[in-house]
This record gives sequence, structure tokens and C-alpha cells, in this order.
Amino acid sequence: MTYANSEITAAAEILHTRLQTLAIKSDILRAVELKALYDQLKTLPTDQKGSFGKEVNQLRNELQAVVDDASSQTEKLPAIDVTAPFECNTKPEDRPALLSSATGSEHPLTIEITTMLDIFTRMGFSAIESRELDDDYHMFGALNFPEDHPARGDYDTFMTVQTDANGKRLIAPAHTSVMQNRILKANKINLEAGKPIAAVMPGRVFRNEDLDATHEHTFHQLEGIYVDRGVHVGMLIATITAFLNEYFHQQLTTKIQPFYFPFTEPSFEFALQRPDALKKDDSEEQKWLELMGCGMIHPNVLREAGIDPEIYSGFAWGYGIERLVIMKYGIEDIRHFEAAKLDFLRQFA
Amino acid sequence: MKVSLNWISQYIGAELPPASELIDVIGRQLGAVETVTDVGAKYQGVIIVKVVSCVPHQDSDHLNVCLVDDGGKLPDIDRDKDGLVQVVCGASNVRAGITVAWLPPGSSVPESYDTVPFVLSARELRGVLSNGMLASPKELSIGDSHDGILILEDETKAGADFAETYGLNDTIIEIENKMFTHRPDCFGMLGVAREIAGILGVAFHSPNVFLNKAQPATAEDSGRLLIRNKLPTLTPRYSAQIFDNITVGSSPIWLQTYLSRVGIRPINNIVDLTNYFMMLTGQPMHAYDYDKVAARDGNAEQASIIIRSPTPSEELTLLNGKTIVIRDDAIVIATESGAIGLGGVMGGQDTEVDDGTTSIILESANFNMYSIRKTSMHHGLFSEAVTRFNKGQSPLQTLRVLKWACQEILAITGATAAQTIYDDNHLPDNVLAQDSIHSTVTLPIELLTSRLGIEIDREAAAAMLRCVEFDASANDAVLQVNAPFWRTDIEIREDVIEEVGRLYGYDKLRLELPSRTIAPAAYNETLALKAKIRTYLAKAGANEVLTYSFVHGNLLDKVGQDRQLAFSLSNALSPDLQYYRMSLMPSLLDKVHANSKAGYDEFALFEIGKSHILLHEDDGEDGLPQEFDILGFVYASSNKLKKSGAGFYEAKRFLNGLASELGIRLEFAVLKDSPDVPIMKPYDIERSAYITDAVTGTFIGIVGEFTASTRKNLKLPQRSAGFEISISELVRLATTGREYVPKSRFPEISHDICYKVPTTTTYGELNDFFSAQVKINRPEQTNITIELVDIYQRSDDADHKQITFRLRITSRVRTMTDDEVSRILSVVTADVIETFGAEKI
Repeated sequence: MTYANSEITAAAEILHTRLQTLAIKSDILRAVELKALYDQLKTLPTDQKGSFGKEVNQLRNELQAVVDDASSQTEKLPAIDVTAPFECNTKPEDRPALLSSATGSEHPLTIEITTMLDIFTRMGFSAIESRELDDDYHMFGALNFPEDHPARGDYDTFMTVQTDANGKRLIAPAHTSVMQNRILKANKINLEAGKPIAAVMPGRVFRNEDLDATHEHTFHQLEGIYVDRGVHVGMLIATITAFLNEYFHQQLTTKIQPFYFPFTEPSFEFALQRPDALKKDDSEEQKWLELMGCGMIHPNVLREAGIDPEIYSGFAWGYGIERLVIMKYGIEDIRHFEAAKLDFLRQFA
Repeated sequence: MKVSLNWISQYIGAELPPASELIDVIGRQLGAVETVTDVGAKYQGVIIVKVVSCVPHQDSDHLNVCLVDDGGKLPDIDRDKDGLVQVVCGASNVRAGITVAWLPPGSSVPESYDTVPFVLSARELRGVLSNGMLASPKELSIGDSHDGILILEDETKAGADFAETYGLNDTIIEIENKMFTHRPDCFGMLGVAREIAGILGVAFHSPNVFLNKAQPATAEDSGRLLIRNKLPTLTPRYSAQIFDNITVGSSPIWLQTYLSRVGIRPINNIVDLTNYFMMLTGQPMHAYDYDKVAARDGNAEQASIIIRSPTPSEELTLLNGKTIVIRDDAIVIATESGAIGLGGVMGGQDTEVDDGTTSIILESANFNMYSIRKTSMHHGLFSEAVTRFNKGQSPLQTLRVLKWACQEILAITGATAAQTIYDDNHLPDNVLAQDSIHSTVTLPIELLTSRLGIEIDREAAAAMLRCVEFDASANDAVLQVNAPFWRTDIEIREDVIEEVGRLYGYDKLRLELPSRTIAPAAYNETLALKAKIRTYLAKAGANEVLTYSFVHGNLLDKVGQDRQLAFSLSNALSPDLQYYRMSLMPSLLDKVHANSKAGYDEFALFEIGKSHILLHEDDGEDGLPQEFDILGFVYASSNKLKKSGAGFYEAKRFLNGLASELGIRLEFAVLKDSPDVPIMKPYDIERSAYITDAVTGTFIGIVGEFTASTRKNLKLPQRSAGFEISISELVRLATTGREYVPKSRFPEISHDICYKVPTTTTYGELNDFFSAQVKINRPEQTNITIELVDIYQRSDDADHKQITFRLRITSRVRTMTDDEVSRILSVVTADVIETFGAEKI
């Protein structure tokens, strides 16, 4: 690489030569010669800054590339004895050891999901993880979405090139409700033997959206269903409220407002008076928090699973987990969750 | 959906509660309120005035000095001897005698109110005092026009409050559209008014012109329009009427303010009226210039409207000026000579109503909601009409709304109506006969009360439904419910339960937890195991990550996985989401470099996730692809740390620790050759091992370092290694019990022994053999442990290595001697020497 500026050319030569013998290659990026060039840049007249700055950066990138290459040492390595617990001639102090437990962490989302599942299991719900690759039937058909129904369009669903047995594209589920039909079918026999169906289904869901600080194409939901004889709307409200009181360790004021989902009738949006932990101030906007969709399971959904809606009724709900965690910790950017950055993760150690 | 409280209150035959209370009620019983706007605040202080005199400003070529009469309304303002107020105005249309809106000092320009309010004052303009200003429609937020000031109707009274006069002392509530997905009627003020009346328990009465069945009419003038509907399924009803002697011009101001309040720009009286009725009833309408339509086919006396599919690549220039190639399945409104509109979505430019229009065809039709939706999406056309049509408007309202609109058209534009009322109607006979979309719903009271969990009197329930104009009667134990013609959503009993519940008020329901037995809920072993894994690995200093289920094709290339074997997304917005991942390791490795660069010299990441491969297409249950539950783990340490020993052993240490936590003993076998499956691709086979369960031999996963190209492509440090194991196998193998060995009260004897073996002998082989031989030769009732002390290779002997074991032995019944242990070891050593060609050092 050549440079128009002679000072940079001179510095480049010195640095590249030193780099060859340097044990810790990355030290070159902190070399005084490089720093001197950056210092000089600040003092230059504006019209010279552009070209000089560009060349200094170019030099820095060159050095960085060598550092990166050196750190990954890309040559083929000799075979090792995989049955041994450590390599031949390893110094006792270098033998494999676990890392400090102070640095370890579980992911904030899985921590919360575990807490939530614990509450629901105490309440008598069993937990089943939701699928990540599903079909049109479980996403829409079994949930009373007619073909071509505009509500299908509300979900911005990811679809695969590959198709199912009916020639329909497979689907990256946009809601954990894909599990409803499966759970209902699997527990039909128990239901008829007098045992209510009570299940919660956590899982990943996907929406074909552009990423930004408040939008993720991948997030987590927790779905719940309860079916028995004589289940009514008051039970739905009571059950969700009981969960939330337990989760927030506080007696909360909740309400439902009418909504529309094809798979519940009636459908609601469940809102709660924002718990103290999630309150920024006492303003009116901070008062209610719309938390989840819910409703009485549509008779067609029960029927599709072979359950007689004349005899049984039930309720279902589903909510996004990220939102709760974001509010709980004041996380400023939803993209942190899937970025796998230790700066973020170790705060939950 | 923007709702004007002033507008709806006109249709509710009762005093409404204060806005704040009403908003609460709406939120609880109708749908989530997104925003509430106090429109009146914008117009605070705006006064209607009469311009008494208007003379040119002496120092300006365009300004005029006006004296306005505000009826003496405003105190504390400079007035002349006649009580008039001086205002300088630069509008070209200002003149004496007109009535206008005055923004006096201290008021704000309404247009600027929502951003940075511009507050007026009394100030000199080129030496002449101006008390505030006279306002244009744009400044008043009523329209786009800024050509001159807004001239009000003569009969409006000077001194009157502008907002009050034109209903602008209003509150606009925006209700989430999603709530009304199945409620086309609530996309009109009338529908929302009815709902609110119902919630307040007030009987609602729609205007008779809307309620009454409207009839088509055929008269002598019927030949002026020929309607041919070639798409009766997609256009089940097409009603229309011709109007003549129209004077197109600005709408009355009241009409303009109605529209501007709910976000619609006033255009001219005809267009404004169609929009007004759409906002009122939910039924979109369209006006075509009759003469333009007729002229297209070269016949001034007869126009034709053909409803048909587009011809191949048919083009149309729309009202918005754009020319489109019409979607194949769209509904086209055409004349003999081609398309003039995209039915239900947008009209064409060719037949647009303009200032010269004198006759119109007013269309009030019904179009298939799915077709409208697709056409709208395909062409990217989103209009208020589309919003309403794609919710599925009731086809039973087309003629009624047409008739209602007719009244206002005659009143406002001075038009005359042609006698013929066209109605191309393809609705089923039963729908027409019952004048309702669905048949009578019979709802047992018992079902109603048990679903809502309340005791409700059947008469009370019927009365609630009647408030929103249902035909409901209660007899014996059932409710007989006929939904009004605009309710497309009342089909089954649950729909009626919803209706009653909502009107009753969900906040009044009895809250009660379901009762349950004390039988434990089903235990999910997989979830429990996953929780255990997380806890252990976090305790071991590793960090749990979550990464996307989808990966970029480039990442697959970087680790050598074949893209062809992955499920691929057909509609991803970004190439980062091209493929379902086939294993977790690529995603984990992709995250190593950024963390190294961020200054973390030694760390371990793990993820519990799912993977999918095209090779496993059937899970044997739903015929869906099999989902693999996988634990992926990666360890990385920077060269800076100058640690000796391969990274492989670090990963293995974590793995063995985890296995022991789960009560599983693992075995590691050399990879003879790399099997051609995606999960194996990132691994260097000479530095990786198969993981199996020592007891059953079950294959669990793989642990190892990565190929040189993987390391290079993902900038991994040399000391990096990882493993991936099957969670479902772990669930099967995990044991809860731990082995306990009773403590001995006799002393322990410890001996070190070192063997020199050929380099090719693995530690595992030697250790297994040595351990087995010690066990065979030990006395009864002894506890033994064998530890590895060291593996050493002299720098001058590449062919051999030296392995040192430490044997600890304790008898549970007596004190053992050193000699005894030496004797055991010498027997074992003889076998080792013979089997491995070893040498005791």
C-alpha cells in the first residue's frame, strides 16, 4: 500500500516492520507513531484534513487486518488425543478449568420465561414449548382464519420456499397460538375424563418486519389455554390477573377492552394499571398498559380439535415477553436481546 | 378510525357524558382509544367578524387596511369611534361586506397549534396597526387553500365564536382500527354513535332514510345509463343514480369542517358529499362525470358502465395521476372503450368530476373485500374507501345510502335527480327477504349466562340488543335475535354473547378463578432439563445467548454447510434471514469475534435452540419437519492470554462438568472421517470427537475445534472450541441419582505410577485398561480413585509420551499397607507393558 503523504508512508514502514516481531500483534494499534498521526490530524487546516484522515484510517485498517489474521492463525493444526482431559505438556496452571461463576449469566428472556412458567405451573398449567417451523393449518386454518381473510395479512408471516403436503408454504409462526390445536387435540381424552385442559406454551415467533430499536422480526410469546365445562369470561380475567399479581408481587388493577381475533369470540385486549415497577411517572399515558390479546376460544377452534363447543368452553391468551422485560429493566433497544454481546449479557450475571 | 364526538352526538337522542368519561367508556366497551384530540383548543379565541371597510395600505401594493365588526365581543382592544377593530390583510379576496374568521391578538394560528403555536399580537405592518389577522382555510386547518382568506356564509353572525358555529369545539377520538376488523359498520360515525348509545343504555334510532328498505326505480330516463355487471360474484351489488344541473364548487363550510376534523381534505361539493356519507355510514361512493363517461363511447345521450375483469395489460390513469397496469384479478369499472376506474379502490382521471361538471353518475356499490384488499396491496393504493371496503361492507346498504346522499346533493348543489335508480343486485333471495346478512340466531339464556358468568334477565338482554337496533325477543329460555342489515358479523351464538357482554360491560363481570384439583400439573422434563443446563453453565461462567433462528447464506458458506439442505424463506425482507439454521454452531461462532474485539479475552457462550434440516422432513406427527432441540456451546480465548493446551480441552471440561451435573458419563471417540451432514461441517475432524453415553453408547453430539477455513472466515482465535449436543437425548439419559460411596474409617494409601507409551496410544485406551486392571486386582471391600497427574512428552522423543496416574485406595474393613498396594500395581503394570508396549518410568 502506498500513501501520498510522506509522513504516513514513513510511519507505515516502521509499524509494519515492528508488527512482524511483535508477540501481541494488537499492541501495534496502540503504537505511539499511529497516535501521533491522529494527533497531527486534529491540528491540520480543514482543507487538508480529508485526505490526511483518509490515509491514516487506511493505515489503521491495514494494521487491523494483520492483527485479525494473526489472531485466528489459519493454518491446519495437528491431530490431538481427544480422549485425554488435557493436552500433552500442559502446565498445571493452564489445565482446563471452568470460568468464574461471577461472569456467567442466563439470558434475561429465559430468566423471565422461567419465572413465568414457574407461576403458571404452580397454578396448575403444564408447559409445552412452541414450534419454530409450522404450517398454514396450525397458523391460520385451525384458528378459524378463513382463506384470504384480511386478518391473515396482519401478521406479516415469514414463509418458506418449501411446501407442506397440501402444497402450501411452511410458516415461521407469527404467534404461539399455533400450538392451540395440538394441545386441544392431545388433551381431548383427558378433558372428556373430567380433567380441564390447562397449558402454557412459550416460544419464539416471527414477523416480517424491518429491524429498529423497537421492532424485532424475532421475539418471544407466551400462550395459554384453559378449557373445561362452564368456563366464563370472568375466569379469564381472574386467571390472568392472578398471574400478573404474582409476577409483579402486587395487587394490580386490570381491565379488558373489546378486540378482534378470528380465533376467539369474544376477543379482548387485556390491560393493567401499570405496576409501580414499570412506571416512569404519574402521567395519564403511563396509567394503562395494554399487555395481551385474549378471549373465549372460538367454537370453530374447539370443533376443529374435536372438542364439542356445546359442552365445553375455554379461554386463551398470548403476550409478548420482550415488552415486559424491556419495561422491567428499562432496556433501550430490543435488538440487544439477540445480539449476543457480553456487554449486555453480563449485566444479568 | 377517527371519531368526532360532535358528529356522533347528533345521532344519539340523549345528552352525552363529559368527553373524559365517554373516552373511558369507549376504551372499556368499544375498543382501545389511541389518541384524543381537543380540536376546540386550536380555535380558542377565533371570532367571526364582518369586514365593514377595506382600503389599500398606502405603503404597500398588496396590503389592505380593514375595519372589522366583531359585535363588540373582544374586550381590551383598540377600537375606533364606531367600535370597529383595525386589521391589516394581504389576501387578494378581502373586501368590504364579507364575513370572515378573525384571529385576534392572543389567539394562535390553528394550523400551527400542533407544532409550534404562532401566537398573534397587535403590531404595526408598515406603519399601520394590525390587530391579529384574517385567516385562510389553510391557516384554519380546514383545507389546503392559501389563495385567500376564508369567506363565510353571509348569514353567520359577527361576534360569534368560530369554533362553536362550525362544530369545531369538538373532541376527536382515534380508535384502533384492528378492533373493527369485523365491524364494517363502525367505520362510519353512525355505527359508532349507535354503539355508544347502546353502551350508555340509550335506544338508538337510525334516520328512517337509512333504515327503510330502498327500492330501485325504472323510469323513462333509464336509457341514459346501461350497467352491465360481468362479475356478479365480486360485485354483488351496484347501485347508481344520475344527477343533473349540478354547480360544482366549494362545499358549505360546515361540511368542510366535518371532513377536516376527521382528516379528510375538502375538494368540492360533490366529492365532499361522497366522502361525508362514507364517513357517516361506512359506505364508500364514487361520482363520475356523466358527460365524460358518455363521450368516451361517442354517445352523448347514453353512458355505459361495465363491471369486468381487466383485459391483458390494461392500463388506467388514476385520480392520483398515476398510470397503472391493472392487476389481473382486479374489478374494473369500464365503458365500451376501456377502464375508467379500479372498482372500490380508486376512480380514473378521465371521468373525474371537475369545475365544469354538470351531470354525474353517483355509484354506491358493494365489492368483494378480499379482492379489494389484494388490489389495494398489489398497487399500493390505500384510501379511506379501501379501509372500509376491505372490512366487507354490507351489500344491503348501497341503495339506502344512495338515497340518503341524494337528499343532500339536491339541497347543497342545486342539482336535479334523474328518475331512474339503478340497482344491479345479485344478493341471495333469503338475504333480501330477511334484510339481514345472516339468519336468526337462537341463543339459550343459559348459554349466555354461563359464558359470561353472570345472571342476566332475558328481557334485559333483549332490551340491550334492541338499543343497537337488533330485532330481539325473549321467550321461554331463549333469545331470538335478528341482526340489523349492517351487521355482517352476527352469525353464531357466540357473536350474540359477545354483543350482550360488551353492552353489559365487561368491568361488571364476576371474577372467579377456575377451581382445580390438587393433582400436579404435567411435568415437562425437557423444559426442566433446559433450566438445569442453563443454571449449570451460567454457574460455570458461561453466558447464555439467543441468536436468530434464521441465518444469512454467507454464514453457511463460511462454515462449509450446504445451503441446499436448509429450509429457506421466500419472503424475507433481508438476506440476513435467508435460511433456517441447520445447527447452532454457525450462529454462535458468528458472535465470537465481536466479543473478542470488545475486549473479552476469555469467554464461553451457549444457546439452547432449535434446528431444522431438509433431510428430516417429517416429524412423524403432523407431517412437519422434525425440530431438533440443541445445546450449542463455544469457548474462545485470546492468544494474548498465552495459555498452553488446545481449546478443545476447555470445551470438553465444560461438557464433562455438565454431564456429571446431569448424571451422565460420556465417552469421546475419534472421528474417523467427517460424515457428510451439516452439523459436522464447522469441525476439524482431527481435533474433534463424537460424544456418546458411556453406559448405552447412544450418540449425543460432537465436540471439537474448528476447521482452518471456519476459523479464518469467522476470525476466531486459535484457542476456540465448542460442542453441540442433542437435548432430547439428554432428557432420555439424564439420571437424578448420584452414586454415594460410604466413607471408610481406615487410612488412604496413595501411589503415583508413570508409563511411557507410544504416542499413538490414546490416554483413553490406557486409562480404561489401567482402571479395569486395578479393579480386577484390588482386594475386596476397597474404595479406589484413579487420577491423571500428567501427560508429558520429552522434547527429544516425539515417538513416546509419559502418562502418570495417581491411585488412591482405601479398605473399608482394615488398614492397608504400602507393600500391598505396590504388589497390586506391579501386577497391573505387567499387563500394561504387555498390552501397550509400555515402559514403567
